[in-house]
Amino acid sequence: MPRLADPRFAPDCTIEVDGRPLAARAGETIAVALLAAGRRVIARSAKYHRPRGAFCLAGSCHACLARVDGVPNQRTCLIACRPGLRVQSQNAFPTARNDLLGAIDAIYAHGLDHHHLAIWNRYANRAAVALARRLSGLGELADQPPPPSPTATEEYFDALVIGAGPAGLGAAEALARRGRRVLLAEADGKLGGSLRCALSQKGDPPLTLAGEVADGVAAAGGEAAPALTAVGLWMEQDRPLVAFRVETGVPRLRIVRAEHCVLATGTVALPPLFPRNDLPGIFASRGLARTLAEDGVVPGESALVLGQGLEARALTDRLSQAGMRARLEPCAAGALGKARLKAVVLAGGERVACDTLACAGPRAPASSLARLSGAAVQLDPASGGFRACVEKGGETGVPGVLAAGEVTGPMSAGEALERGRRAGETAARG
Amino acid sequence: MGSAKTIVCACEDVTLEELRKAFARGHRDLESLKRYTGLGTGPCQGNSCLAPAARELLRLGATPAEARPFTARPPADPVTLSLLASIEPASLPIQMTATVEPPAAPGSTPRPGGSPPPRANVVIVGGGIMGLALAYNLARLGVNGVVVIERGYLNAGASGRNGGGVRTQWSTPTMIRLAKRSIELCRSFAVEMGVNVWMRQGGYLFLAATPAQVARLEKNLRVHEANGLRTRLLAPEEVLEIAPDLDRTRFLAAAFNPDDGVVFPWPFLWGYAAQAQARGATVLTFTRVTGFEKTGRRIAAVLTDQGRIACEVVVNAAGAWSKEVANLAGVPLPNRPLRHEILATEPTRAWLDPLVSVLEDGLYFSQTQRGEIVGGLADPAEPEGIAMGSSLRFLARFARAITACAPRTGSLRVVRQWAGCYDVTPDNNPILGPAGFENFLQLSGFVGHGFMMAPAVTELMAAWMAGGPKDPILERFTADRFPRGEVAHEDFIIG
Repeated sequence: MPRLADPRFAPDCTIEVDGRPLAARAGETIAVALLAAGRRVIARSAKYHRPRGAFCLAGSCHACLARVDGVPNQRTCLIACRPGLRVQSQNAFPTARNDLLGAIDAIYAHGLDHHHLAIWNRYANRAAVALARRLSGLGELADQPPPPSPTATEEYFDALVIGAGPAGLGAAEALARRGRRVLLAEADGKLGGSLRCALSQKGDPPLTLAGEVADGVAAAGGEAAPALTAVGLWMEQDRPLVAFRVETGVPRLRIVRAEHCVLATGTVALPPLFPRNDLPGIFASRGLARTLAEDGVVPGESALVLGQGLEARALTDRLSQAGMRARLEPCAAGALGKARLKAVVLAGGERVACDTLACAGPRAPASSLARLSGAAVQLDPASGGFRACVEKGGETGVPGVLAAGEVTGPMSAGEALERGRRAGETAARG
Repeated sequence: MGSAKTIVCACEDVTLEELRKAFARGHRDLESLKRYTGLGTGPCQGNSCLAPAARELLRLGATPAEARPFTARPPADPVTLSLLASIEPASLPIQMTATVEPPAAPGSTPRPGGSPPPRANVVIVGGGIMGLALAYNLARLGVNGVVVIERGYLNAGASGRNGGGVRTQWSTPTMIRLAKRSIELCRSFAVEMGVNVWMRQGGYLFLAATPAQVARLEKNLRVHEANGLRTRLLAPEEVLEIAPDLDRTRFLAAAFNPDDGVVFPWPFLWGYAAQAQARGATVLTFTRVTGFEKTGRRIAAVLTDQGRIACEVVVNAAGAWSKEVANLAGVPLPNRPLRHEILATEPTRAWLDPLVSVLEDGLYFSQTQRGEIVGGLADPAEPEGIAMGSSLRFLARFARAITACAPRTGSLRVVRQWAGCYDVTPDNNPILGPAGFENFLQLSGFVGHGFMMAPAVTELMAAWMAGGPKDPILERFTADRFPRGEVAHEDFIIG
């Protein structure tokens, strides 16, 4: 039962995966279509040729790369299915599921120290360098140069808000209410961020807030833009400049200057840290929850949810309601399986058979844009991630750059909304 | 069943075991760990691995300063060269930068690589390839008491920021002689020094777009032939046999030398440092020179933020910081630091063998052992000064240049941009030997090609310092040649 029995989620097109047809729903991502088809292994890893499949389902981890329509290293969790889309697995011979070069992983069970590989004589070394070059690199270079892109536009807004989760919605709402022309940019195809996972707790804002904020932003002359990814932030004297990539239609860039930029970039999922933590079948909890809520895709038959707290409990309930055997455990010591997850070993040694592991442990602040701006960050010991340091009003200390929400540390969606509003007000005053 | 590895970085397949081993080898801070293990250098830019690595470091006993995040590098999300080429660079100021390393708060720098000894024979300021290779060569010749002082981690300066090109194609016999020896040493480095440097001799292609540029290559060719190099001048059809993806309409001819090549720069520093230390030299990282103690015509001691070192000889091998270091001793140098930007793309399977250099605009690029395209492009508008930030302007300029030269690169996504500083002299040649004080030796001014020259130059410098013969370059490239006006300009500089 890979898809919920709801006509909204029924496949309506066919894509081609490694030369074979695969039923998909137009608009859902390739990774989701593969998940619905029960196909976990998408590619093989760079060095050891370990099986790779989707993990974060949110564009952050790059574990699900494949060749799509002749272009290598595409994140299958970001590309929407449409009839005739061609997907090819990478870095595997003959197939991703049965890759002969997977022998490298078994032979070098304790790691291949490439710094000291074949350094005993010149001839061996030269042969090793030549062989390593043949094996290195992920996909083949694209067959064709891409068509020329339209010239990047240069634009100006009063304020930029990056990320349309609860904090970004709060900031954009506050700015629009004060009449500021704001660009609310969300990398994903829909606004809402973590609110879209349908794991909401008491006190969390409803997902409908996204639409209301978008309307308010538009009314103030601004723009709420899903599918708009911030690809970089540079400081131009004392003003931030952000380059955005438009993800729909013809690819193009927008170069945007603004007096203020509120970073509401949220968090990224972290894989667990135990043996075979990279097995396909191990997913980030929020990615899985969103896939279930929006695409109606049930990841498998039996799931273990790893974590503590309200989100982990809510996800366990959702998976059960969707017909999976779901069990919640606070921690685990390892995973078992050859090319896909078969079981999880608990801290006490118990083996729990399952085909899906949902990681609901600590997430890391997505602070790379904050770090690029020169903002100070601080180690969050629980996740090991680095959170943006902010004052009460969201000020980072870098002129024109503010931050709010989970990028500044763990908090509930309700609190993130409130912090976002405060940052928006600070920016509107400034 | 696949092996029971715990993967920290899924892009580069870095295991927890490798991370622990690297930490035990002394790569304790995240910048060093990133370079030694490769974690965080893949397409995800450290999204998934930075946090688990930092957590593990703390568990292993690293200080909070050592667990500071490695510098974030734009772009934040990989973006194709084709898209970047759609940006009009002229409207973007050169000062627009990201990723200037944040200043370290007092007391928050990582633990130094040891305490300075009270006395040393030779103190080398700068733990880049020049300083470390000199330390190795001195130690190899039996010189005791050699101390190298590096203010950051190994590979923090230009030695860790360059494109890794090594070439014989120079315009003067002296440079050709040094380059030939360096390539010989690069070829045997892995076996002699015990660490892989991934030397690959795919040749250098210099593309000429105008008759004047062709004439320049022809003139060089005669020098090359007279000095025993295998350089050939190729017609466009022959060039396409070597690099089929180049746009045939963009050049008239090219010079090609099959012995030129590319290396992976970082391991050179680890190799030289390890072998120097094995022979009794000391390498102090995270140690900063604060001044010099002078007595008459000599420097008596080097002062650092970790303590004073009395010494017989001081070598200034501080690269772009050479002028600053010499100033601490009151010695003026004509060197000028000049930022050069560079970038790396996602890795793909091998498709480009040579390093390509375009005379018309200063573009250069090559494919690394891991499959990334690494390349740079000088900006005539770049002002003098030490700066390490990265600009969007560079991304746009580079993308326009490379997609014009090799159109198929348009689909490649840039995953990382950074910058380093050239150490420029008025005649593009180095400054070697004493300046200001009889025991204050200069080993600087290598104008972006110090990396490839270091193995050979330090061999000659060490031989002379150890009491051996003085090579003519040490007579020729002295600091006082500028006031005397005896300069021979090297005009074959790229980037």
